[in-house]
Amino acid sequence: MHADLAVAAPVAPVRAQRFPGTFVARLSARRAMRSGALWGLIFGIAIASSEVSYTRIYVTQAQRDALAAAYGSNKATSALFGPAPQLQTVGGFTVFKISMTLMILGAVWGLLTSTRLLRGEEDSGRWELLLTGRTTRRGATAQALAGLAAGAVTLWYVTAVITVVSGRGSKVDIGAGASLYLALAVVATAVMFLGVGALTSQLAATRRQAASYAAVFLGVSYALRMIADAGVGLHWLVWTSPLGWVEELQPITDPHPLAFLPIVALTAVLAVGAVRLAGTRDAGASILPDRSRSGPHLALLFGPAGLAIRLLRASVISWWVAIAAAALLYGLIAKSAGATISGSSVKEVFSKLGAPGTGAEAVLGVCFLVLAVLVAFVAAGQVTAARGEESGGRLDHMLVRTVSRASWLSGRLAVAAVVLVVSGVGAGFFAWLGAASQHSGVGLTTMLQAGVNLVPPAITILGIGVLAFGTRPRTTSVVVYGVLGWSLLVVIVGGIGATNHWVLDTSVFHHMASAPAVPPDWEANGIMTAIGVACALVGGLGFKRRDLQGE
Amino acid sequence: MATAIRTEGLTKRYGDVVALDHLDLEIAEGEVVGYLGPNGAGKTTTLRLLLGLIRPTGGRAEVFGLDCERQPVETHRRLAFVPGEANLWPSLTGGETLALLGRVHGEVDEAYRSELLDRFDLDPTKKVRAYSKGNRQKVVLVAALMVRPDLLLLDEPTTGLDPLMEQAFRHCIGEARERGQTVFLSSHILSEVEALCDRVGILREGSLVEIGTLADMRHLSALSVEATFDGTVPDLSGVPGVSSVETNGRVVRCQVRGPIEPLLRVLADAGVSELVSREPSLEELFLAQYGEDGRAR
Repeated sequence: MHADLAVAAPVAPVRAQRFPGTFVARLSARRAMRSGALWGLIFGIAIASSEVSYTRIYVTQAQRDALAAAYGSNKATSALFGPAPQLQTVGGFTVFKISMTLMILGAVWGLLTSTRLLRGEEDSGRWELLLTGRTTRRGATAQALAGLAAGAVTLWYVTAVITVVSGRGSKVDIGAGASLYLALAVVATAVMFLGVGALTSQLAATRRQAASYAAVFLGVSYALRMIADAGVGLHWLVWTSPLGWVEELQPITDPHPLAFLPIVALTAVLAVGAVRLAGTRDAGASILPDRSRSGPHLALLFGPAGLAIRLLRASVISWWVAIAAAALLYGLIAKSAGATISGSSVKEVFSKLGAPGTGAEAVLGVCFLVLAVLVAFVAAGQVTAARGEESGGRLDHMLVRTVSRASWLSGRLAVAAVVLVVSGVGAGFFAWLGAASQHSGVGLTTMLQAGVNLVPPAITILGIGVLAFGTRPRTTSVVVYGVLGWSLLVVIVGGIGATNHWVLDTSVFHHMASAPAVPPDWEANGIMTAIGVACALVGGLGFKRRDLQGE
Repeated sequence: MATAIRTEGLTKRYGDVVALDHLDLEIAEGEVVGYLGPNGAGKTTTLRLLLGLIRPTGGRAEVFGLDCERQPVETHRRLAFVPGEANLWPSLTGGETLALLGRVHGEVDEAYRSELLDRFDLDPTKKVRAYSKGNRQKVVLVAALMVRPDLLLLDEPTTGLDPLMEQAFRHCIGEARERGQTVFLSSHILSEVEALCDRVGILREGSLVEIGTLADMRHLSALSVEATFDGTVPDLSGVPGVSSVETNGRVVRCQVRGPIEPLLRVLADAGVSELVSREPSLEELFLAQYGEDGRAR
């Protein structure tokens, strides 16, 4: 055996790497393209299903005109989702219905992907390993950006293929050129926020910080665009917001390709800035000062639950701020948006959107679905954070002391449950606050109930996450975001037209009543909570019996 | 004397891979035992089984008579663990980490804690993110030592420490021994094990191949002999018990196993002028188990 090896070793050919200097680019391209393809699939399906379901629901011209009358000039929905110039057409409806959602999802994908592949790699120490190869700090950053660009192209390509195929349907009938342009517009925010994430990765000292700086930029962009579209005479503000530029592209309805200029310019400036900054700082260091020292804050460090609060409070508070701001905004616009719902044909349209009834409560019923998605994201984050403690080896320090697995997990779940209830009740309260300030006549109790109504779907997501964590820990993140993404996709598709009820039943959001438009369905809520608790119990038993597992 | 650690047929398999194969181990209270083996031999697997972090495929493990799998919390009250890789919470400071880990364990010897911070020269106001690898390792060492546990389980505890800190660590283990604490030290650093341990176990591919005191192991092992001659150098290759003969001019080096008498007779007859013999170091014992290329034989 030894002799064989001794002979074989010098003879064995050394496999030459092709282009060893592009290793970083290929590494990040592989990871960015994989997630780009997955999200492209989701984007494409969302666009295609929106197009197809429009042709099925709004069959007659009268129905289409009614829809256009309800939303076409409504400044409140225009502030939320962007303007809706051509709701009588499939393309106009699709752009209105989903492009804002996809633009925001694309931006979130972009900022998470680039901060993960840049600052995240640096956090983990792998970046330094790459820098010892045939590259420099600037070179490696430029290569990683090239990899991210490949991811963006993949995202566009997959979205575009599905959009073109769907557009060729005889009833949809959108030309290939228009479909490609639509896909490009939808992916444009993703490209810009890849750049934003690359820049904040140079500024901040941790991946989480980098992602939150980029998220703040996204929030400001959204707010500026919203004010611009609110019909208060500040439409020029649309040119100050990256999301505004994308809106100005006006795919299908009135293409305006000049708006690509600021998009390309911003992306180029961000990319060049990121590469330059990478060269001026030490590997692992940040441009903005990092507080590396602090006095002891021991109040929360009494045990695993306290530690969870301490570690998660920054991200939970940002979620709370986002949820409260969105709820307040929805409350503020509810009355004026609801005022347009009158006449039987419009009411029918609205009830197809999931909000029967009239007035502010009907509008809030639709808006609360968005809040339910946000609260479910908070739940998903709680599960993946627990898994992160295990895969990062930090859970060991608790479990080799006097903390049992059961008390660690139940402590974390108790914290998560409180966080979710506060998120829901807070959403209800702030929506009431906004609505009451406009004298919308919406009761506080109704709104608080509608807030509590947001919690059961999130509990279900939490429970399914714990089930994955307890039985197949390495799949936790995929399962929890998979279920959430699927549920979201199903409501986006299902909200605009009845599809197969077996499919609809798989979405956690489908079982939630559209409170406050209708009273909460406490029976369904009880069942969702019970499913969540049962999954969590099974997951907890699995966790008690299994080996701890690293990444 | 009471038993601190006992394993019976302790086995861990991952699919087809056997990480630990029927380990039978018994360590008495107050012993300091070294645990040697190359990477992947099963050292960390053993420790994680003793801690109840992973479940055995077969056999059982006890710490102070308590079942490691079924009564983890009870066993953990009496022990402390130092992992080889200090994965801590980057946003906490060293001091906050120690406070947290102390509270989660229960009792902390506060005076000893400050002494340890001094001895290891650790600044507790810095965030873990800003610590070097060695400083992070100091945090987990102090966290384990400060609770004065009855049993210290150490998994390559001095990874990343400089020689001065390594010295401070040895001093602490010496103190633990004097206080009657039991120490189970898994390590690559043979000089560390040689300096600290009463007994040494050697692990190879998941099986314990050797366990005993260093004196016993040396006795069973070969003696190194170096002889210088004035006249002709004799041929030693036929002498019973002699191996690895190397001749360099008038100097001969060889290893001898078992009775040394036949060799001495040949050397005396040949007119040896200088004779040096020494017991093998732990490094030589270890390499004898694994072969000099580091691969298991």
